[in-house]
Amino acid sequence: MGKSYFGIFKMEFKGELQYRAKAISGIATQFFWGLLQIYLYSAFMKSDTINGLTIAQMTSYIWLGQAFFAMRYIVMGKRIGTEITNGNVCYKFVRPINIYNQWYAEGIGQKLASTLLRFLPIIIIAVLLPENLNLHAPTSFVAFVLFFLGLILGLLMSHAISMFAVFLTFKTLSEKGSIGIVSSISNLLSGLIIPLPLLPESIQNVLNYLPFRFISDLPFRLYIGNVGINEGLIYLAIGFAWLIVLILLGKFLINTALKKAVIQGG
Amino acid sequence: MASIIDFTGICKNFKVPERNTGRFSMFKNFFMRKHKIINALKNVTFSIEEGDIVGYIGPNGAGKSTTIKIMSGILTPSSGTCIIDGLVPWQNRKNFVKNIGVVFGQRSQLWWDVPVIDSFELLKDIYKIPNEQFKETLEILNKSLNLSELLGRPLRQLSLGQKMKCELAGSLLHRPKILFLDEPTIGLDAVTKLAVRDFIKYINQTWHTTIILTTHDMSDIEALTNKIILIGKGQILYQGSFDNIKNKYSSIKTIEIEFAKEYDSIELEGYETIEHNKKFATLKNLPTTEFHTKNFVNQISEKYEIVDFQVTSLGVDEILAKLYKEYKL
Ligand SMILES: Nc1ncnc2c1ncn2[C@@H]1O[C@H](COP(=O)(O)OP(=O)(O)OP(=O)(O)O)[C@@H](O)[C@H]1O
Ligand SMILES: [Mg+2]
Repeated sequence: MGKSYFGIFKMEFKGELQYRAKAISGIATQFFWGLLQIYLYSAFMKSDTINGLTIAQMTSYIWLGQAFFAMRYIVMGKRIGTEITNGNVCYKFVRPINIYNQWYAEGIGQKLASTLLRFLPIIIIAVLLPENLNLHAPTSFVAFVLFFLGLILGLLMSHAISMFAVFLTFKTLSEKGSIGIVSSISNLLSGLIIPLPLLPESIQNVLNYLPFRFISDLPFRLYIGNVGINEGLIYLAIGFAWLIVLILLGKFLINTALKKAVIQGG
Repeated sequence: MASIIDFTGICKNFKVPERNTGRFSMFKNFFMRKHKIINALKNVTFSIEEGDIVGYIGPNGAGKSTTIKIMSGILTPSSGTCIIDGLVPWQNRKNFVKNIGVVFGQRSQLWWDVPVIDSFELLKDIYKIPNEQFKETLEILNKSLNLSELLGRPLRQLSLGQKMKCELAGSLLHRPKILFLDEPTIGLDAVTKLAVRDFIKYINQTWHTTIILTTHDMSDIEALTNKIILIGKGQILYQGSFDNIKNKYSSIKTIEIEFAKEYDSIELEGYETIEHNKKFATLKNLPTTEFHTKNFVNQISEKYEIVDFQVTSLGVDEILAKLYKEYKL
């Protein structure tokens, strides 16, 4: 049972690992954006701290964000969109496995592989950069462990959210539009566009409890010590609860959509 | 023999939104829908016996792929019942699909970026195929389709024909009882086509797999089976032996004639002049006239001076074209 979903995960993981050239250009882009953001926000932070966040913490937050960009970014997964719009998806129906789980395993496999291909070079370069621009060590070993747990939650969460774009694609047959809606909401509320610690506290108080920030904001804040250990554990629990809710909701929506689905093309 | 597929009164309507295009089209498509109904299948009834190879033929847009999709549990019909091997395909889908294999000639079910053998290994897990059986099946498929060089290469590097061989093998790893093939020979060269046909026959004989295939290549049908189902505009027009249809039309001959001199017009009782150009003409016997070479020569020589003539019967493609025309498809 679980074996075949793990097999699908492995398959997509292996497939994605072949796209190294794409990863290298991705790394260059991410590095450039990291530097740009650091200069921009440093200029914007006139005093040394903003909302209790130091420039050094902010720098680390930004580098982590760039290193794990492939994981944070909302994509449906390669091919899924085109599969639905061109009808190749019909093969998903003729296999004795659950369709949501198949897609979920595929997406996680692709995301994990593209993240693993990209994160290390960025981390290494970011650590080696001169003071004021560099990535700092985590505040404690426990913080690092929670950061790691948070990353796993983030990976699972980002794809649970992507699955809503899959649902919308089924409904609208517009791949670009669906992913556009879901990713613009998610990217804004998850801190991908503006790091959440830089936002006014009243807004943060709301966003902290929505599912999106668990994609990446929480693990990064655990790393830099902006969220403490105890507080972090509570947030992690909330995050995992959200994950279950979103997966169940996604399964329900996709299953109903599939019942009424019309497969495209002869 | 008992029938394994029973299709009774199946209708399938597609509700097609009249699409908006341009800016905000997605929102418009989502919230404001105007619909048109397409009746893809109208009261389709047929049954197929266990162990048969059946050719499912009909012109473009007739409803062949739609029927295959309903039989394989991909689509739910609007009305009617369908029992396959004791099960309703679209209910309890996971259970049903264990015993079927499906190949759509224009699509791919294997993973694109990884070696073909990895896809097969994954299918082994998905269908829970025991190790021993998997090895044995792979051996058989390997031998009859000549896969050994292909298995180690990623699917995206393979040619169309090589891909089709791998797709066929992939659909049979779990030794399904029923195999649905939607245009399996599309785009294949003559040699690969023959190999694929031989393979289909071989599988049918060794595993007694029931096979339903659609094709526009009538030589596929001639090579594989005498049982056909003819569908047009969503309705079943004929179910039975292909020979019957061929015999019905093979009595019609085309006669090309070369005359000794130019005639203004060629008129012969019981025949229709299709073409006439100076010394050459093409005639066809009317359905009421039975063609006999001797009678024909006698009859035409009375009126005209002929040098040479050649008689041809209709080919299968022409027969089908005639058939479609007769049914106004
Ligand atoms: N997803 C769909 N939405 C709307 N109409 C569809 C859909 N799929 C098929 N149709 C329509 O249903 C009819 C039957 O299509 P189908 O694909 O079954 O034909 P076919 O016999 O396989 O044709 P071909 O030989 O060209 O493959 C066509 O009129 C087609 O336009
Ligand atoms: Mg078709």
